[in-house]
Amino acid sequence: MPLTFTAAGKTVKIVKVKGKDDTVRFLQNLGFVEGEPVAVISENAGGLIVRIKDGRVAISKEMACRILVA
Amino acid sequence: MNIRIALAGNPNSGKTTLFNALTGSNQYTGNWPGVTVEKKEGKLKGYGKGETTVTVVDLPGIYSLSPYTLEEVVSRKYLLEEKPEAIVNIVDGTNLERNLYLTTQLKETGIPMVTAVNMMDLVRKNKEELNLAQMEKDLGCPVVEISALKEEGIDRLIETAVSVAKKAEPSHRLVFDEKLESVISAIEKKLGGLLPQNNPDWYAIKVFERDEKVVEQLCLTASLKQEIDAYISSVEKEYDDDSESIITSARYHQIETMIHDCYVKRNRQSDSISDRIDRVVTNRILALPIFALVMFLVYYVSVTTVGSILTDFVNDTLFGEWILPSASAALESIGCAEWLNGLVVEGIIGGVGAVLGFVPQIFVLYLFLAVLEDCGYMARIAFIMDRIFRRFGLSGKSFIPMLIGTGCGVPAIMASRTIEQDRDRRMTIMTTTFIPCSAKLPIIALIAGALFDGAAWVAPSAYFTGIVAIVTSGIILKKTRLFAGDPSPFVMELPDYHIPSVKNVFHSVWERGSSFVKKAGTIILLSTIIVWFMQAFGFENGVFTMVEDMNNSILAMAGNCIAWIFTPLGWGDWKAAAAAVTGLVAKENVVGTFGVLYGFGEVAEDGMELWGTLSSEFTAFSGFSFLVFNLLCAPCFAAMGAIAREMNSAMWFWIAIGYQTLLAYACSLCIYQVGTWITTGVFTLGTVIAGIAIIGFIYLLIRPERKVA
Ligand SMILES: Nc1nc2c(ncn2[C@@H]2O[C@H](COP(=O)(O)OP(=O)(O)OP(=O)(O)O)[C@@H](O)[C@H]2O)c(=O)[nH]1
Ligand SMILES: [Mg+2]
Repeated sequence: MPLTFTAAGKTVKIVKVKGKDDTVRFLQNLGFVEGEPVAVISENAGGLIVRIKDGRVAISKEMACRILVA
Repeated sequence: MNIRIALAGNPNSGKTTLFNALTGSNQYTGNWPGVTVEKKEGKLKGYGKGETTVTVVDLPGIYSLSPYTLEEVVSRKYLLEEKPEAIVNIVDGTNLERNLYLTTQLKETGIPMVTAVNMMDLVRKNKEELNLAQMEKDLGCPVVEISALKEEGIDRLIETAVSVAKKAEPSHRLVFDEKLESVISAIEKKLGGLLPQNNPDWYAIKVFERDEKVVEQLCLTASLKQEIDAYISSVEKEYDDDSESIITSARYHQIETMIHDCYVKRNRQSDSISDRIDRVVTNRILALPIFALVMFLVYYVSVTTVGSILTDFVNDTLFGEWILPSASAALESIGCAEWLNGLVVEGIIGGVGAVLGFVPQIFVLYLFLAVLEDCGYMARIAFIMDRIFRRFGLSGKSFIPMLIGTGCGVPAIMASRTIEQDRDRRMTIMTTTFIPCSAKLPIIALIAGALFDGAAWVAPSAYFTGIVAIVTSGIILKKTRLFAGDPSPFVMELPDYHIPSVKNVFHSVWERGSSFVKKAGTIILLSTIIVWFMQAFGFENGVFTMVEDMNNSILAMAGNCIAWIFTPLGWGDWKAAAAAVTGLVAKENVVGTFGVLYGFGEVAEDGMELWGTLSSEFTAFSGFSFLVFNLLCAPCFAAMGAIAREMNSAMWFWIAIGYQTLLAYACSLCIYQVGTWITTGVFTLGTVIAGIAIIGFIYLLIRPERKVA
């Protein structure tokens, strides 16, 4: 399911980042790779704040939809 | 021998802080990713051992050697093309895993390298531990612990870096698993002698990743290219992933194993203070009110309250009552020539003094900006504003240049490099100077004080005008062919909040504030001297002489040549026209020129209220029209230069300047014409044209969007 369905406070594992453009590559460089745990810290109208590795990343809803997690 | 040491690392890992510590310079730091956008060189401080000199190079932060935004291209280019003698790889110790990802790539370049684990003060505070010996072994390069902010470990780092550079021993890449290694050697075999002998592996990996630049560089024949492509595709099929992701995962895998045996990580609190603050300041409902409140406070305090109390003191008391009369008296008492007295008192003190009077306000503004920049809120602002800006076709990242632009337009225009998409970047460059910079502050304060009796709404209205101009420009421009299309999806790292360091804030305020003062002492001084001579001399009764009536001066002649252009805007007087034109050199000149033409000279004679005569030559609407024109029109030469550099195209430069000037003219026209019509009922051709402009503007705003193919 897309990352947008994950409730704040939950940790899930990344299955795939859909698409193949510069933004996806950028996300992968930031650590959004297959099997990596990602925790949703908070959610607001614009998007999500998530924790990946030890970093905190803000992503828009639109992009979060393309991150598939399980 | 000169050794170049490049500082490379992730954004916000502390490279510039280290650079400042090493070179004693005062470069721009801040707590958000993407502060540095251009490389900067400096001489290593206190290093003069014999023949060797050391140059330190600060680079923009990068997440990988495959650049995403423009400033990252700068770093990749420098590292790969200029090949420094050594790299100091700055790694943020509180986020080791992600930071080491870049380290694995830097090691592949073959450039001798030292890894500096920065932010050790925070790592220790978290009670985490690093096994340096193990890390050195795993990474295959020296590792030094430092804290750039506290200047700890810096000497050791430099010693190590210099010795590594002198040894010139190339760094080696980390090995992948067997399967991937065989793929890489297969590619090397296929490419045979084509790969540069000094570092074939790096090229092979890049070819595998389908790095366009490298593939181009290698000039492969069509058939060889096809063969390689087919091979990569077959590997991709086997892995069920694209080649780039395969490498990315493999790198992260290398790091995981490494971290495992050299880093004792404590179970961090899952809910840090920063997370809790974020929950409030990025909250669905609260985010915007909080942001609006912060912004209001910043500008209200710096422009209207504290700043203006100080400024009034400097203007009225310091210059008006103390310096001016005493300077005038002193010059008279030593029997100084009348013209020289005029030049010094009316020209220099009047002009430069009018500008210097705003120094307190500008320092207060810079103080707030420095705190905002160093605490970590900037990145959040970009995130919060993204949702809104997207509707106007801009990305939230455009807001960072705009905030920086309240200080100075030049770094603001450069800061737009962090915006991924060219069209959004260009639009940000075009619109960011609509936000009043610190040099426009004196114009705002002057108009507010002299024409509106210091009304509290004038200063906020100037910022409001800037924001409305940006938003409407966004909407209008997005509907044209040049800018159509959506901005890239928002992705940005959010740093931890921290209490701004006194040192950083002080440096930043000092650096920028003093450059304002310096500018007053150089460009503004020169301009006011020229303006004074031009207004003091001219033709009277057919001879060139010092004029009795300013209206006969050269400046009046020159001003009158262009003043007609501004007549429809309500200020077709040569003095206002001259002020606006000198404003192109530097915006402070608008006030400086008025200072020479109207200002302190009067005060000295009759002690009348400051700027008394100025108000008699403007109405409320022509005054506001003058203000808006100067806020929106083409910025100063320095900022125009920045626009030209960043646009990197003559056509785009002229589009930007043309658009700004046109918009400024149209807005001022409408304000003056419509305002005059409503208040006095005078209806002229100008009113008709203003009406047409308004209708045209509304049409451009609401016309249907162009569909992008
Ligand atoms: N606690 C702590 N903070 C640090 C240290 N070094 C840097 N910082 C802070 O980290 C933030 C980022 O520092 P910069 O030097 O601007 O980072 P940079 O790597 O140049 O960032 P970019 O130019 O965006 O790539 C600033 O707020 C610094 O005060 C350190 O050793 N300890
Ligand atoms: Mg920097």
